[in-house]
Amino acid sequence: MYLDMHSHSVSSDDSRATVEQYVKWIQVLRKRGHTVDGIVLTEHRKFDFDKDYSDLATQYDVLVLKGSELDTRYGHFLVYGVTEALTQEIDFGDVRMDARALMQAARQHDAIALPAHPGRFGIGLTDYIDQGESFDDVEIVERFNGGSRPGENERADELCDSHNLLGIGGSDAHLTSHIATCMTDFKAPIRKETDLVEALLSKEFQPVWLKDVLTGDAST
Amino acid sequence: MAMELDYDRSLYGVEHQAGPFEITDEIIDRANSSTGETGAAFRSDEGAKEAGYRGRIAPPTLCCILVRQVSLPDVKVKFGKTQMHAGQRVEPKAPVYAGDLLTASSHLKDVYAKTGRSGTMVFVVWETTFTNQDGQVVAEVQESFAKRE
Repeated sequence: MYLDMHSHSVSSDDSRATVEQYVKWIQVLRKRGHTVDGIVLTEHRKFDFDKDYSDLATQYDVLVLKGSELDTRYGHFLVYGVTEALTQEIDFGDVRMDARALMQAARQHDAIALPAHPGRFGIGLTDYIDQGESFDDVEIVERFNGGSRPGENERADELCDSHNLLGIGGSDAHLTSHIATCMTDFKAPIRKETDLVEALLSKEFQPVWLKDVLTGDAST
Repeated sequence: MAMELDYDRSLYGVEHQAGPFEITDEIIDRANSSTGETGAAFRSDEGAKEAGYRGRIAPPTLCCILVRQVSLPDVKVKFGKTQMHAGQRVEPKAPVYAGDLLTASSHLKDVYAKTGRSGTMVFVVWETTFTNQDGQVVAEVQESFAKRE
């Protein structure tokens, strides 16, 4: 199944898209012949325990999961399977947190944290590795990022190839029509956040571009 | 080491009042002119009544201009050397009519840091509520300022 692993709704300070707009736009993409099964909302520096999108998800037949995108001193990290215990151990608003500690804490709390847009100039993991930092716990990175500038996804490709890393894809949408530009193709069925963590740990997935996900039965 | 922001936290919970602002036809004309607004409801009583209003209304973004009339204190964020305006957003709650008297009440909503291609920045967010002479909230404006390393 195809999930957009990185998106921001109005709950993030820099997005103007509502979740309803996203799931409605996905209907448009489906009419154009694309397969989009769901999205993961990865709001900046927070986790929305209080937000429930299940009615929208049911109405539009789009899986809507929740995660986070956290700022660390080594760039941004996507976190999936966030639990209350993890938010008690890690200050999600701390932009100088150590990404290594985040990754370890995430695993201890049955979540998983991985670098977002590692090829991003000035803030991607690639820059920190070039500066001599090492990240032994990183096995997966966001290889396809829909918000990348020219050259940045290529740097992520090089990182994956040189360090034998797996890749996911996410749109990094902040605007409605950007949703699902990149996704991740999972072999396992996913229905909730814990399934997503398991699917990532299974290593049976690959990043995809929306243009490459066509069923060929577009309606006019 | 966590990033601890140093600023005047005593400002939380304090309301800063301004107004009243009389919404004259001239002010609405100038707002229309500055944004190129041509909607009939914003230009005359007749046009507004045709659209279902009881009289001429101001464009919803008028409160984004008025918000700058509120005198806000220095939050004293000890970070960076450069400060810039980082944006506004307005949520209209009710029509603003020509002849209304609006008052504004602003409070510090949030101070937070974020990182991006431009490095680390600290954002100061103010929230202002505009109320008309009848006590009805007509708009909420959120305005952000950013300090950069």
